[in-house]
Amino acid sequence: MIKDVFLIVVGFSSGLAVGCGFVAFLTVLGIIPRLAQLTKTFRFIRAYEWSIVVGALFGTWVGLRDIHLATAPVFLIPIGLASGIFVGMLAAALTEVLNVLPILAKRIGINEQILILLMALVLGKVFGSLFHWTIFVDD
Amino acid sequence: MGSAVIYIRLRQKFKAKINEVIRIKKMAQIIAPENLRHRINELAVYHVTEEDNSFIVIDVMDVIKEIYQLYPDLDIQTVGPPQAIVEVESKKRKMMPLFFIIVWLLLFIGAGLTIMNFHEDVSMRGVHQKIYYLMTGKTNDKPLILQIPYSFGIGIGMILFFNHIFKKRFNEEPSPLEVEMFNYQQDLDQYVIVQEKQKSELKKHHD
Repeated sequence: MIKDVFLIVVGFSSGLAVGCGFVAFLTVLGIIPRLAQLTKTFRFIRAYEWSIVVGALFGTWVGLRDIHLATAPVFLIPIGLASGIFVGMLAAALTEVLNVLPILAKRIGINEQILILLMALVLGKVFGSLFHWTIFVDD
Repeated sequence: MGSAVIYIRLRQKFKAKINEVIRIKKMAQIIAPENLRHRINELAVYHVTEEDNSFIVIDVMDVIKEIYQLYPDLDIQTVGPPQAIVEVESKKRKMMPLFFIIVWLLLFIGAGLTIMNFHEDVSMRGVHQKIYYLMTGKTNDKPLILQIPYSFGIGIGMILFFNHIFKKRFNEEPSPLEVEMFNYQQDLDQYVIVQEKQKSELKKHHD
């Protein structure tokens, strides 16, 4: 009994810490405001918050349980695309927070071609990821 | 004409070539009575020489001094920034294409490596296998049907964040990168103003 109470306390507090960390991370990177700005939907920012919370809860639950559906693999395409876009935005936001590109562009004296440098990062990520999944990992 | 008022507004930043004589009309906007304006516009403030650094800061006081020598009675009002930054154009600023290609390849390979490190770090493979099982109820060691759209999604996400599809953009708002470039440039300008000012003041004291 006392063990169970202890486990509940430990589980709850570690969940609290991880949840706070996750939200803090998203806030620093500013992905949600960026998406709202792109789609001009600042009104729904509360709904986006809930989407993050529900998504995290859902992911935690199905990650810890052994439940599964029995759908066709085709449905994995939109899921893969969506998770990729999210990770891509994370990566872009990290690059931006670290201020890499402005400094680099200034150092080597280019301003107009910064787009081409950006494409190097984007294509590098895409091909790096494709290479990783198709060739790098062994069956 | 003793009571004539003229207004000066310096340009924040402009470019000049070596050996160019910078006249007031190039570095400032002036509102003055018509007959005075042409004379004032042609006044020389600074002569750019080989010894100058790549940045020169010209204070509005230098401009006023030039005008004051000719027209001590004028009432001179300044508007806007108190200094102008002159960027001296040198010939060697052209960039080697080879250099650019090296930087491009560096970024390309580096970006690929970091995404692979990230995947290994967070066991992305295991997560993908789990998602595959979650949706289909079957196990698959290499769920490429999930992973290939995922890989392209990364590229789309980065482009979305920076608001660029190569050259086309979704809306007119500046991208975070452009804002970042602007802020960085402002910080640099501020630094140049303070540093160059100190240097030129030191020089004046020595004279």
